[in-house]
Amino acid sequence: MARGNVAHVIEVNGLTKRYGDVLAVHDLTFTVRPGHVTGFLGPNGAGKSTTLRMILGLNRPTTGTATVNGRPFTALSAGLRHVGALLDANDVHGGRSAAAHLSALARANRLPRRRVLEVLDEVGLAKVASRRVGGFSLGMRQRLGIATALLGDPPVLLFDEPVNGLDPEGVRWVRGLFRDLAAQGRTVLVSSHLMSEMEHTADRLVVIGRGELIAEETVAEFAARSTGVRVSVRTPAAARLAAVLTQAGASVERDGDEALSVTGLSAVHVGELALTWGIVLHELATRTASLEQAFMELTADRVDYLAGERR
Amino acid sequence: MTTVVSHARFRDLVAAEWVKLWSLRSTRWVLGVGALALIGLAVRGSASTYTDWPTYTPREQANYDPMTEILNGATASLLMIGAGSVGALSVVSEYATGLIRTTLAAVPTRHRVVAAKLTLVAAVMFALSALIVAISFGASQAILSGRQLDVALTDPGVLRVLAADVLLAPMSALVGMGLGALLRHTAATIVAVCAVLVVVPSFFKPTVYQWVNDLYATVPLYVWRNCLSQLHPRHSDALPTVSGSWAVFVLWPLIAALLTLLVVHRRDM
Repeated sequence: MARGNVAHVIEVNGLTKRYGDVLAVHDLTFTVRPGHVTGFLGPNGAGKSTTLRMILGLNRPTTGTATVNGRPFTALSAGLRHVGALLDANDVHGGRSAAAHLSALARANRLPRRRVLEVLDEVGLAKVASRRVGGFSLGMRQRLGIATALLGDPPVLLFDEPVNGLDPEGVRWVRGLFRDLAAQGRTVLVSSHLMSEMEHTADRLVVIGRGELIAEETVAEFAARSTGVRVSVRTPAAARLAAVLTQAGASVERDGDEALSVTGLSAVHVGELALTWGIVLHELATRTASLEQAFMELTADRVDYLAGERR
Repeated sequence: MTTVVSHARFRDLVAAEWVKLWSLRSTRWVLGVGALALIGLAVRGSASTYTDWPTYTPREQANYDPMTEILNGATASLLMIGAGSVGALSVVSEYATGLIRTTLAAVPTRHRVVAAKLTLVAAVMFALSALIVAISFGASQAILSGRQLDVALTDPGVLRVLAADVLLAPMSALVGMGLGALLRHTAATIVAVCAVLVVVPSFFKPTVYQWVNDLYATVPLYVWRNCLSQLHPRHSDALPTVSGSWAVFVLWPLIAALLTLLVVHRRDM
């Protein structure tokens, strides 16, 4: 990409979006630079998708601006050449084949037809190119969405929850793809509500909650914010163990049927207590990588939808 | 990554819309079956006129208008609903499937996408209905000539009726697109297309109230039936005039197209 000194930067400046009484995005300011995978992180309903849509000119900001290369995106006639985006894998017409879907987009951006075959090959859909998208699984649609984003060979790429529906092989592939794209000097912004996803993909993070910026820093800096150390336990008697540990002063979260997430007690202590009470443990581990924790702590008071109670 | 900043030309956008329209099996079916049905009905109507002609009363023979064999009230309604629905679905399906976001992220200058879609759909409908009308006219003329009921293209009114017949489809398609952009809901749009273009106007009959007649004279199917489709339209204050009817045929699609542009331009996706 011989774009000389032109930096392909996404700049979001004082961005605000109001839907009636609801403030979806509030005074959001951040910058996404080339050469890195930047994670765009926040709980469900934090305003990630709304922000991405405003960057793409699909939704109009109430106030503030979002620009790509210093220009509003809506001024461009061949968007795919500037920004490739996967917003929602289902934003396709089920009655068209994958090849027809991409051909129309390629034509609209005056891209050569061979690009359609190239991107279909790249995402592994070459064999089903002529099949109707309506019969695709979510994973296949994600791949088609990624193919759409890559079609114009753009310097800036946006992906909204791209891992949904992908099988483990697909997840590995997509992580590698994002890193490769960033290594080529492109600007890559990947949104997710799962901190654990970002751990494997992103170098930098933009974290938002309830439409407001919480953090904009490297993944390492973000992880260092976490205070508590967490112990994860797997046992068939999860309820009993939880009661025991709570009694001992720990704070315990149920993590499914048999798994507990414990803070306030060391793994050693948890193991001893289990032995004392004759509870069988299937797994006992200290979680040092506590990105998830940092994320939960930071967003705790900025989550719109909590299980059980509505804030 | 491409370094050339290349602007997509308008004809690239129109070509893209063509790919979108034609790559849907449903479009090909609706257009293909619709065209064959309309031609078939024209041939069948002409053939039964040929057969039954001797049984017509002199009054019926005097009032006979050979142009009604190409399109009559019923087949014109069919054509309008078909064309209106195809136009409506070309817009609504983008919203209903979410494809509109992919489309507009690829071509952020919205008005160009919408203008390209309006152009393509209107052009396809014009071409197809020109083909239908030409074949139907040729076939019915061939059949009717056996009873010396055929007309010449140069006869007064013939070209006007043919033009009006051809324009029904693109006009209906554009009105459908406007309704689709406004409503964005598949079922609601189809109901609206049928109601606005055909069902409601089919109840209109000239009345003794001039203001009602004037109101009726702004409705496409009404002015087509009571004026443009007739070789010799009757002159009456209660009936639409030829020039007024043409104005309706121009204004409806024009307003619908502007409405589509405006609504898509302003609304969040």
